[in-house]
Amino acid sequence: METLEERQRMLEEVWVQVRKRHLYPELPQPTWAEQEERVAIDIKDKRISVSAPIVEELSQFMDPAEVASGLLDHAVSHYLHCPWDLSTHLKLYREAKHVLKDKQMAQKATGYFMDVVADTICMSQKESSLPELYRHLKRGIMDEAVHALYQKIWGLDLGVKGYEEVARKLSRLPYLERGRWPESVRKFSKIVQSLLEVEERFGGLDRPNPMGEHGLQQYSPEEIEQGLKQFAKDAATPAEFKEIVEDLQEELLEAMEPNQKGMGLGPGRSLDADILYYMKLAENYALPVRSRPMEKSGALYPHHHVPWEVGRPFQDIDPWTSFGKIMPGITQTWERREGEVLGREEGTPDCIVLIDSSGSMTNPRQSLSYAVLGAACACDAYLRNDSQVAVYNFSDAKAGGSQILPFTRHRWSIYKTICHYFGGGTKLLVEDVESLQRSSTPDIFLITDMQITNLEALIQYFNEKKNRVTAVHIGDNEHVRTFRRSMALRKNVGIFSVEKKEDIPKIVLGRIREYFHAPSHA
Amino acid sequence: MKNPFEDFGSLSVERKELPLERIVRAREEVMERMVHGYLKLVEEEVKDLVWLVEHSRVVKAYSAAVKSIRELHYDSDDIEEFCAELDSSNRIPYMISGPAGIYLSALVNHAQEDRIVLPLKDYQRAFHFVGYRLPDGKTLILQGDVGDFVGAGLSGGRLVVEGSVGNWCGAGMLKGEIQVMENSGQNTGEWMRGGEIHVEGRIRSVGKTLFGGRIFQRGKLVMPQETDPDV
Repeated sequence: METLEERQRMLEEVWVQVRKRHLYPELPQPTWAEQEERVAIDIKDKRISVSAPIVEELSQFMDPAEVASGLLDHAVSHYLHCPWDLSTHLKLYREAKHVLKDKQMAQKATGYFMDVVADTICMSQKESSLPELYRHLKRGIMDEAVHALYQKIWGLDLGVKGYEEVARKLSRLPYLERGRWPESVRKFSKIVQSLLEVEERFGGLDRPNPMGEHGLQQYSPEEIEQGLKQFAKDAATPAEFKEIVEDLQEELLEAMEPNQKGMGLGPGRSLDADILYYMKLAENYALPVRSRPMEKSGALYPHHHVPWEVGRPFQDIDPWTSFGKIMPGITQTWERREGEVLGREEGTPDCIVLIDSSGSMTNPRQSLSYAVLGAACACDAYLRNDSQVAVYNFSDAKAGGSQILPFTRHRWSIYKTICHYFGGGTKLLVEDVESLQRSSTPDIFLITDMQITNLEALIQYFNEKKNRVTAVHIGDNEHVRTFRRSMALRKNVGIFSVEKKEDIPKIVLGRIREYFHAPSHA
Repeated sequence: MKNPFEDFGSLSVERKELPLERIVRAREEVMERMVHGYLKLVEEEVKDLVWLVEHSRVVKAYSAAVKSIRELHYDSDDIEEFCAELDSSNRIPYMISGPAGIYLSALVNHAQEDRIVLPLKDYQRAFHFVGYRLPDGKTLILQGDVGDFVGAGLSGGRLVVEGSVGNWCGAGMLKGEIQVMENSGQNTGEWMRGGEIHVEGRIRSVGKTLFGGRIFQRGKLVMPQETDPDV
């Protein structure tokens, strides 16, 4: 490679071929990385950087264009096949961590596993210069083992001696079957564990993979949002989500850094994985919020034409459809109708979320709490509709076991308040709820198991108020039945039961019986 | 009008078959047959999911296991994977430790390799009867703790347990050697007729009836007890 222009032209030409070979993936033009990096390729926010010094170094063995082509094949195959998205990446890491119990080793094992999958898929579908590249790449212990595996599963000689046993065991895994990746990465990690331990002893784990590391910076902020949302859905417990997210916290925050937004986080804040779990899980359930009902506005507006008759006012005559004539049967006049508008304030009202975090409720940090998830879904729904949310988290409120968050749109504060767990007795103070009331009559969302000591006071409060109330009870008991009986005649109260996660999408916020009985307006 | 897909015309759509796919296919076929053989054994030998350890039943189960693997070509990696399947796979609805161990022993005894290492330490379930009738010339190394009747009826092979064994270790063994790196349970060496058992840790109890053979604890002979000719 002589000049910068020639090198750039070469990369552009190679990229055209690589894109065509991979059926035109949606990736930007790769760039050269000039600094003395120890990795051949780096991907940040989907842009691939190819290390110029490494291509230069390898060009003594093969054509530089072939080197660049092989490197780009590798990078594109990662993008197209494995890991494909952040959620898959996190799942693979979770499985590896489960076996290896060590963050660094699990990251290495996950990275090598993804390399094997991506390269093998590429080799099975395309003509690639990857084997030639691997023949000349500098190798550590793990690289030797993985290249020995390539020799076996690709049926090519890459010049690796030894590692037969590891390669034989690794070659039995179905890398091309996506559905079996979790099982395969577990077995892969188990097999390479002893090699990783040797690498760890000699400091090899700190050396980057020569083909590039698989940091989370390769994902865009949107992909990270989406990936976390999916991962929260797939995680069996909040603890499982927390373990993985806390392990990768730094990388996640770094990947979000470009504009330091999204996920509801401000700059310089650490991730609270428990809150993030409910936040992301709630995004999977888009609860509907009923808008306020239509009501008569009092104003008349032209609705349709009718033939003018003698005696009807002239001011409503429509000259454009009357051919300029005043004649019964020909002249048309406007029939006016009264208009309809939304209630006093248009759109979705704000919402006061009342959440019970007493000892009879599940601790959201230990296992999945339907109460917190339900409240998180409700908050998400109101925030999506541009409304504000206030939170009253109560346990034994009289003894100080309560938290009040005034109306806000700050997502992180809202979720932090609803995730707080007191674990004490259950008594709320209606004065606290009253202090959050506004003249615009916000909706009220209550989620509890109804085992509230002063339930009667709450029932009386709801009977006095005109707010639309969505009451969600977890489980069934005598208190629930009392509440249902007491609220039976109230048209502004909707009651839902949540026994399992699948019940949450059935909640309709702000649904009140009045709407169903209201006359329809054509 | 220009064909919008013209650019793709020059691309090859043929998919190469890599050796990986052949390896995986062959492996899955073997595993399928192993699982099938085991389930058949359980179906025939275990009634009501309860398996009572009786000499005649053990012999019968072993014969049935040997018969089912007669034409199977496998290696130690397949055996290792079968152990993992037994421990956690959805493909095996019930893992009954006795028949599972006997089936495993039949696989080990008829494998091509003379030295087999089975890493069992990460498994949640205990395997019984592993090393049953291990023949002359075979070495079986079990990494981790194992269950009862390990090395029962040992027939000349060498069994090394890198962990502890349960009760009845080496019961009725004929010849060969069992080496236990940690502890052994009750009735160690019961009914043994020959061979040696070496335990590096504690022996909970030695079998009451020994017809031959020797048991050592930390290098010291404990059975039969040496009698001092001068006394």
